Amino acid sequence: MARYAMVIDKQRCVGCQSCTVACKSEWDVPNGFARTRVKRTAIVGEFPDLHSTFYVAQCNHCDRPSCVPACPTGATFQEKNGIVKVNRELCIGCGACVAACPYGARYVSPATHTVDKCDFCSSRLEQGFEPACVNTCPASAKIFGDLEDVAGPLFDLVYRSGARRLESRDVAIGPNVFYLGKSDEMALQAASFPPQPPRTIAPGKVWSMVLNKFVYLAVGATFLGQAVAFFRQLAVGEKQFDE
Amino acid sequence: MSADLIPTLPAALTAEQAGAMAQRLVKKHHVAIVLLHWFNALVWLMELATGAALIVSPQYRFMPQWYLTMLEEAFGTRANLLRFHLAVGLTWICVFAVYAIFGFRNYLHLEVLKKEIGLDQEDFRWLKIRTLHLLGRSQDPLPGQGAYNAGQKLFAFLVYTAVPVIMITGLIMTFHLLGASLVAWAMVLHFLAVGMVVSGLMIHVYMGAVFPEERPAFYSMITGMVNELYAYRHHFKWWRELKMQQRAWEQQLESESHAEEDASRNDTLASAPDSPRPGSDELEVAKGTP
Repeated sequence: MARYAMVIDKQRCVGCQSCTVACKSEWDVPNGFARTRVKRTAIVGEFPDLHSTFYVAQCNHCDRPSCVPACPTGATFQEKNGIVKVNRELCIGCGACVAACPYGARYVSPATHTVDKCDFCSSRLEQGFEPACVNTCPASAKIFGDLEDVAGPLFDLVYRSGARRLESRDVAIGPNVFYLGKSDEMALQAASFPPQPPRTIAPGKVWSMVLNKFVYLAVGATFLGQAVAFFRQLAVGEKQFDE
Repeated sequence: MSADLIPTLPAALTAEQAGAMAQRLVKKHHVAIVLLHWFNALVWLMELATGAALIVSPQYRFMPQWYLTMLEEAFGTRANLLRFHLAVGLTWICVFAVYAIFGFRNYLHLEVLKKEIGLDQEDFRWLKIRTLHLLGRSQDPLPGQGAYNAGQKLFAFLVYTAVPVIMITGLIMTFHLLGASLVAWAMVLHFLAVGMVVSGLMIHVYMGAVFPEERPAFYSMITGMVNELYAYRHHFKWWRELKMQQRAWEQQLESESHAEEDASRNDTLASAPDSPRPGSDELEVAKGTP
């Protein structure tokens, strides 16, 4: 079984947004949203010694995804090959997973009113193609492959060249998009786009912390009430009513 | 007026009176209500069974994994399960919409609603004594009740509040209406409203199907009829109302059948309750009461 992952070589990326465009046209992503996009960090340093770098944001298909348990209906799920997918037929568009994602990789589509995100172009993979963004990138900055394939390109980049995950002390859920770059660039990227701790939406909090217990209590209490009455009925015996 | 002779408080009946009353049937439910009730029961069974299997997130779910897997596999995929849940739910909404349109004048009237869900002082006293009865802590007589007793009124109040919430939140989730945050709140309200109704259902099902004293009420949900003795014992105010209606109707028939010159005779009849006339059974009941 494969374990799909991606490496983004920051030294090659020039921020041209070709991947963004390829993805949008491949998946008909509505205006104002993206499955993947290139963001630019802040410019740091003193003139003329200025630094900036590009951050390619997309779904990280994490090892321990925070979006999967957040989804109430199970529309978001992880396949055995590591790809996190959304089953549109099950998604009601509540946005719980959007809040739970530390990388802002998800959005509620205004077209379908369900959640959409990168799925490593699963349908293209099934046909033997690479993801659209990888296929398009003019600098070959995006490298896609199988982490478990020792002879593959990713194995070397991740385990020998030192491509790193964008994690923080608070958020370490095993993202599978790795970044390859100089340490100051990596530090700048981490400072500009730190992963946000997963949030639970307000109704979700109310549900899991208050309403669940309240409903269990109410149903339990009335069940107990009728059980007491029932056992009393058994113990006393039914009178023959004249009705 | 002869109506005064219909007792205002339930009294002990002689064996013959009780026997005669047990033989006479009065109509409690329209056939449409009977059909709607069992349709509703079937829908609730299916929707609860499938709905419980749709909440799979470990943060919210309350059914064990084997149940979720069982339902999912029974329906093939969870998408099918959801489709079934939505199809049944939408059918339910349509049927109740038809009911609301056709039953509007008869059932969804403010007066009728008041009668079905409005609780008065006596109802609260009834609730207290009834609970004590069930626990074997009281022998006090129960205050007379209308067509629906205080417990039924409470349940009706709960259902009338929760069902529109269930329907509206269901529609919001089905058609992804009004944006993500409202869909999220709809999901939570859907769960809460269903939970509240299920909590009431525990009592409703026990009282309707298991509790021996209310067994005529259970059969009335099949035949539409209850015997008069049950009505007298359990829904005294309603029984009295029926009697008053019957009396008024009889009087009207009488006055129509008699010629106008007999008007004076009618007055004598009305003031002489012992004189034989149709419906004298009820008068016998009336005599033995305070």
